[in-house]
Amino acid sequence: MKSHSTWSASKNPVKFRMPTAENLVPIRLDIEIDGQRFRDAFTWNPSDPDSEVVVFAKRTVRDLKLTPAFVTQIAQSIQSQLGDFRSYEGQDMYTGEKIVPIKVDLRVNHTLIKDQFLWDLNNFESDPEEFARTFCKDLGIDDPEVGPAIAFAIREQLYEIAIQNVSSARESRISKKGRRGFEHSLPSKAGGTGLDLMKLYGFRSSVVRKRKEWDVYEPIVDKLSNEEVGALEAKEERNAQ
Amino acid sequence: MEGGNSQSQDPNFKELYTIPSDSRWFSWDDIHQVERYSLKEFFDASSITRTPKIYKEYRDFIISKYREDPNRRLTFSEVRKALVGDISLIHKVFVFLESWNLINFNAPKREDDDDDDDDYVGGEDKWNVRVEEGAPYGVKVVANPNSLKPVLPPPVSVSGGGIGGIVSPLASFKDRYGELVKKKLVCGNCKGSCESGCYEYSKDRNFLICLECFKSENYGEKKAAGDFKFQDCTVRNGNFESAWSEAETLLLLESVLKYGDDWEVVAQHVQTKSKLDCISKLIQLPFGELMFGAGNGKPRLWDTGDSISSVNQVNLDSRESSEITKTVKAPVSDASDDLNNENEQNGNAEDVTPPQKRLCTVRVSDSSNSLMKQVSRLSMMVGPHITSSASEAAVAALCYENLCPREIFEVNDDGSHKFGLSQHDRHRASPAKDSDMEERQASDVQDTSLTNTIPVALRMRAATATALGAAAARAKLLADQEDRVVEHQVATIIEMQVKKLQCKMRCIEDLELIMETEHGQMKKLVKSLLSKRMNVLKKIFSAGISRWGDRASVTAHAPSVP
Repeated sequence: MKSHSTWSASKNPVKFRMPTAENLVPIRLDIEIDGQRFRDAFTWNPSDPDSEVVVFAKRTVRDLKLTPAFVTQIAQSIQSQLGDFRSYEGQDMYTGEKIVPIKVDLRVNHTLIKDQFLWDLNNFESDPEEFARTFCKDLGIDDPEVGPAIAFAIREQLYEIAIQNVSSARESRISKKGRRGFEHSLPSKAGGTGLDLMKLYGFRSSVVRKRKEWDVYEPIVDKLSNEEVGALEAKEERNAQ
Repeated sequence: MEGGNSQSQDPNFKELYTIPSDSRWFSWDDIHQVERYSLKEFFDASSITRTPKIYKEYRDFIISKYREDPNRRLTFSEVRKALVGDISLIHKVFVFLESWNLINFNAPKREDDDDDDDDYVGGEDKWNVRVEEGAPYGVKVVANPNSLKPVLPPPVSVSGGGIGGIVSPLASFKDRYGELVKKKLVCGNCKGSCESGCYEYSKDRNFLICLECFKSENYGEKKAAGDFKFQDCTVRNGNFESAWSEAETLLLLESVLKYGDDWEVVAQHVQTKSKLDCISKLIQLPFGELMFGAGNGKPRLWDTGDSISSVNQVNLDSRESSEITKTVKAPVSDASDDLNNENEQNGNAEDVTPPQKRLCTVRVSDSSNSLMKQVSRLSMMVGPHITSSASEAAVAALCYENLCPREIFEVNDDGSHKFGLSQHDRHRASPAKDSDMEERQASDVQDTSLTNTIPVALRMRAATATALGAAAARAKLLADQEDRVVEHQVATIIEMQVKKLQCKMRCIEDLELIMETEHGQMKKLVKSLLSKRMNVLKKIFSAGISRWGDRASVTAHAPSVP
């Protein structure tokens, strides 16, 4: 992987990959066996040998003391998601000048996060993990699970947009359905043309936003009490059913 | 504060910001090579959304945002909401500026900055590690990252010159100058402290022994009496005239603000100076006594004023000591109830003309006394003419304001005229006499003549206005006087400069003369050389040694001589 390739020239198509510095694929697991439910989200390097997947599944099951039936399920799920990713590899990805809005709306344990910012799909130096780390540091979030969750949410959205780029590049191709378990509604424009950054530049084409828009692009972090978390979880449970 | 070497001031800005010396390249108006190099994407014309202009806007916005409050740590999340553009790109600019310390230089350092980049491997490893070692949930959570961060010393850049001068404004002086503070001298032999004096071992300056040990010839192993040099600690400690370093002065001010006039504590805090040193230094400072007015509500220093001032007189040269007694005495007498006494004392102090400016401020601000006293004091400070005209003007103004007939003040006018004259006469008759007594008499006259006719409130206002007018007049006088002094000084300076220039001109003329004579001599020399050469040539011709080559060379050389 050319992880250090600089900005892709806008005209030349790039082979499909994650539009970030590290080509890490977001993997989401949600498996239920015999009343035991296992949900997880992490990233995976697609160039790792596939034998790692089973090793990882075994270790996870052992660490979390799950029933052995989980091993195959986990391995299968990861494998199929990696397969999805690889099916796009080798295809051209027309990125062009493309700035997309990324929205984060998450709850991790007791922390509620809402945020919105612009992401350049052409910037193959971008680093969601680094961004998430800065985010947590700046906002004083100490829950160690928040950072990866934010990074993961960003990666998921970028992945989705990248897939749509491939699809739109190949008209003949039947547009793929979005990945299952994808919880966030994508911004309507995201898949299409992206935003024209010049139009976003405010008064006298300054890069400084209008003051009243600051709130929109400002991260919001809430600390929830135990009761609130309980209520939210119950609600999610009901929705799932 | 400290750090003159490494501060660089941007000429377009009035305020002074501290940036590290290796970031000197920064300028508001320009994009430096460093920036072009580190953030290439803005300068390779690859996109209309990444241009030098946009970079400059990002940069300027972030830096000015930080400079709104340089003591607070500017976070990326704070900046990005206001900037349009790729978040990773903005982050890159932010990190670049931070790494050059153009932002967050004075801000308290984050606790976890150091370990951050080192142990981070891949997206999730770090956080997973944290799960295992993490602090108890909810212990360290702070809603606002800026509010409760402990103040840590700022990053000190290691490269470049003039390091170490940059201090966080919040660092206490003990943090910074702890090493300057004198170490207690400990005898290397008996481990007792050497209060009064000690002997320093010349081969190892850290080894000291105290007087007792030296006398009893306990020099320690393999050391002889000759190798020891006597050092008097008392001289070191109690040197009144010893220079105050800037650090010590600031330490003194800091501790005075903190502890008020508890001099024992202050001296302990300053450490390198004695109690008396501290007091006299503070008084010498141009704003020394103001510190007490604002600083504290503790019992005033001046309660013990007499003893201290007498001590000061010993230590300071005569001019300064007289000034100090004045400043000390005035408040002391204010505290005393006896008005008579006070006026006499003030009068004594006031014999010197012109009165010191400092004296005025102290006394006017000390407004615990009655209004009339203030008035009499203020008017006392100026000449009788001014007082009378000030009172007249005050009365006139009051009449305008209140629409009351001027007749009410007739008596007042007469009275003031009268006492103005009488004072004037007396002043002439006995200029050395206490002017204050006259003033008191005069105000008595005023009092008695006024009480019957004019309402008290009006009288008060008239008096206040008079006092203010007198003060204004006095201020003008002082200003005029200062003006004159300044003019005079400037004139002398110019005169000196002119003299210097004249001297220089004379020197140059002399030099010119010398040059001319030398020039003449040179000409003569050239002539004689020419004639000699001609003679030689003639001789050669007459001798008949005429080889073409020789002649050609000779003729070729000839023109180059002059």
